[in-house]
Amino acid sequence: MTTQPHLLHRIKPLALGLALCLALAGNALAESGVLIRKSDLKQKPFLDAATTGSVASGSTVTITSRQGAWLQVKSASGQSGWVKLLNVRTSTANSSGSVGGTLGTLGKVITTGSSGTTVTTGVKGLTSGEVTSTHPDPQQLSRLNSYATSSSQAAQSARSANLSRKNVPDISVTSTATSQGGDQ
Amino acid sequence: MMRRSLIAFALSAACAAPVQAANLGDILNQLNNNPDLVNAIGGTVKNLTNANRTIGPQEEQEIGNGLASNMLGAAPLVNDSNLQRYVNDVGVWVASQSGATGINWRFGVIDTNTINSFAMPGGVVFITKGLLAQLHSEAELACVLGHESTHVLRHHHIRAIQSAAGKDALSNALQGVVAYKGNQQAQQIGANLASGFSEVYVRGLDKSDEFEADINGMVLCARAGYNPYALPAVLQTLDALNPQDSNLQMMFSTHPSPRARLDKIDQVVGDRLEPWASGTENTLRFGAATARYTTPAR
Repeated sequence: MTTQPHLLHRIKPLALGLALCLALAGNALAESGVLIRKSDLKQKPFLDAATTGSVASGSTVTITSRQGAWLQVKSASGQSGWVKLLNVRTSTANSSGSVGGTLGTLGKVITTGSSGTTVTTGVKGLTSGEVTSTHPDPQQLSRLNSYATSSSQAAQSARSANLSRKNVPDISVTSTATSQGGDQ
Repeated sequence: MMRRSLIAFALSAACAAPVQAANLGDILNQLNNNPDLVNAIGGTVKNLTNANRTIGPQEEQEIGNGLASNMLGAAPLVNDSNLQRYVNDVGVWVASQSGATGINWRFGVIDTNTINSFAMPGGVVFITKGLLAQLHSEAELACVLGHESTHVLRHHHIRAIQSAAGKDALSNALQGVVAYKGNQQAQQIGANLASGFSEVYVRGLDKSDEFEADINGMVLCARAGYNPYALPAVLQTLDALNPQDSNLQMMFSTHPSPRARLDKIDQVVGDRLEPWASGTENTLRFGAATARYTTPAR
């Protein structure tokens, strides 16, 4: 912003407030986050990189870039560094609430009470207007089938994109990460 | 004539809500007497609601094709063959990292601004144009497709359909499958039934299935050579969107909140996939295929 000082005097307080709100909203859209735990600020986006400081749990940071499992952030006090991506939440709404819970009254949802399952009364993800016009479209299904590719074709395409297979062990959903709760 | 009366019977039974399991069995028995209507799906539907019964790969595919056909009736494929072939290249590459063979994978981008993705039994996976627009890289796309592929690989929807609460949804689904597989007349009646059967044919999954899909989706993504933390990155994008946005309504009402999913990934995965975090973030082919639909890389 390069607004001249003499121009500022002419802007009515209301307009200034509006501009400020817009600027803040714009900032939120340009990725800000809240730390869910006290986090080390790393000089580089690696676990064994040097620690240059820390950011307190609950503090808001601006996300300036991303790499791997890390976010480069700037704290309110002006400190910069890398924090673990999983230490940051980005909710614009009240950060503690379940979004699904509040939307239950808006969406046409039946909660069955057993094991937290919800049953939708619409095609998931489509608006009710689109749903009510639904009828089977076999031609579209044929088109879908026509784009199918084999695993060898997909592998060849992946190689052309410099991708290669890595050996990664399965992770059970019931297991717990060893580093959980750590303050890095 | 016989056919018409059978369909009328099925129609009236479908309209009487809620459809009881016993009535559903009656409908299926009646339909099974009419080979024109049920020939292609054969005995598939007859005992589908038996929770102990194993649904075979061929049956899954028949059911999935019927559901996909209905879904495409609501939102057709984006008319861009380069884009469609591209998502198949990425999707099949990621899904094949499971080691499972014999699945007829078909990936598609459907033309709706709502933000969501879907899996259907047997190997059909859709991502909406609206969700694609929120993605920044091929790694993010790969992880989303890995999540959906996991629903297919672990038979989450078939299991949900077989559970007690899924039986109503199933009866509606069957109307669609029958109409799709039947003759012209049945298709027309299927269209007339739209407001009845299309309302309830896909069921929200258990939260635990969604968490499992997230975590295994990250593993598949890492095996395919991508940065697996692109999945929580997508969830952060969704978490930052206004939850009141109508385009998000159905995703948020059928999934745990992005925040809850991030918390679960934090708890279960944490740093464990850090050795693969240096994997590929983006490719030239991602830009070439999706530039018209996506936001610039960040």
